[in-house]
Amino acid sequence: MNQIEVIFNLNGRETKISCDPNKTLLDVLRNDLGLTGAKDACGGEGECGACTVIFNGKPVNSCLIFIGQVIGQNITTIEGLSLKGDYHPVQKAFVEAGAVQCGYCTPGAVIATKALLDRNPQPSDQEIRDGLSGNLCRCTGYNKIVDAVQLAAREYSNG
Amino acid sequence: MQGFEYLKPGTISELKKDLSTPGARILAGGTDIVPKMRQGIFTAPVLVDTSRVGALDFIEDQGKEVVLGALTTHQKLADSPLIQNVNPALSAAAESVGCVQTRCRGTVGGNIANASPAADTIPPLLVYDAVMYLQSLEGERTLSLEEFIKGPGSTELNPGEFIHSVSFTPLQGSWGSVFIKIGKRSGMAISVVNASAVVFLDNDGLISDTRIALGAVAPTVKRCRETEKFILGNEPSPELFNNASEICRKEITPITDIRASDKYRIHSAAVLTRRVLEQAVEQARERKS
Repeated sequence: MNQIEVIFNLNGRETKISCDPNKTLLDVLRNDLGLTGAKDACGGEGECGACTVIFNGKPVNSCLIFIGQVIGQNITTIEGLSLKGDYHPVQKAFVEAGAVQCGYCTPGAVIATKALLDRNPQPSDQEIRDGLSGNLCRCTGYNKIVDAVQLAAREYSNG
Repeated sequence: MQGFEYLKPGTISELKKDLSTPGARILAGGTDIVPKMRQGIFTAPVLVDTSRVGALDFIEDQGKEVVLGALTTHQKLADSPLIQNVNPALSAAAESVGCVQTRCRGTVGGNIANASPAADTIPPLLVYDAVMYLQSLEGERTLSLEEFIKGPGSTELNPGEFIHSVSFTPLQGSWGSVFIKIGKRSGMAISVVNASAVVFLDNDGLISDTRIALGAVAPTVKRCRETEKFILGNEPSPELFNNASEICRKEITPITDIRASDKYRIHSAAVLTRRVLEQAVEQARERKS
């Protein structure tokens, strides 16, 4: 198998790696680039959303994307939300609302929330539930996550 | 995961050439193929990634027909005011696929090529008599969506051939177009049964034409022609649709699998048939007034 060269924009920086084409974006983020914020929780089936990243402005499961598909594209991971040292309003809202228990689904849920609010800054309860329907959480019962999204939405509209 | 040679064409002519490589398989959104390759269910010595072929990502109103490029994502379909307007059933079906993460990647061409009996975009396209436009290095051809799908996971696509686009004709007159699905839960669910119908009403309020398709109840998405014949020419009524839902039970051959039993599917298909017909008639009456 020939290695492929992949150049893409990751969290605002041009990133270049050579790797086998059968690696997924999630494999490369975690194992080659040391960005372990995106999680593998369902075994790479695209069922749980723990590996969600933003791909050209849209939320996607990084376990369902071959690394070649990101050539020349823009990817934002959870690490890219707090580059200046301060937490992103969505991250702050998750902490404040108590939307984090074991934390495993949190990076994916935060990223999915950011993607939702970027597209729809004032989502209804139903739109929040739809926007996060691809992110499984086994601890919180979801209510606190919905509270966090509402809180973040208020922050968005104020700021 | 097994290795493969990776090709990434940028134009349709490069795609034709790359796909003619022996053993080449096409990669669109990847939401089905990537996990299948990981599990070893799907293998490809050569994988042709279409993500640079922008010419296959379009929704076009060509007047007589609406054309969807094969690489149109479910999210783009769901968000399209044109599709909401001309094929509300397809719009609802696209919105019901998976979750936003998979809708932003999965494509209508991929959904059709997978030929799952439970595919959500197929019933609304089938009831619009959609036409497939295929291309390869050898040439191009068109055939109906109904002819295109041969069985579960099996289509008319030859090696080296790919779906360029799928098209359908917008409906005229007093019409309604509906899609409903039943899944195990409301998010991220594969259809246990899905149903789509179009109904036309004439000036007297009688059903002048109708098409009904049910998914996940037979080896392929099923056009229910006996049920269609039964209601044609009649005045819509609860009794008519109850009787129609009894007839559709006999047109389907569902199996028992991890998602539901055959009995549950037959019962649900009958209920959904009644509901899609009722809602389509409601829509048609609104268009009439």
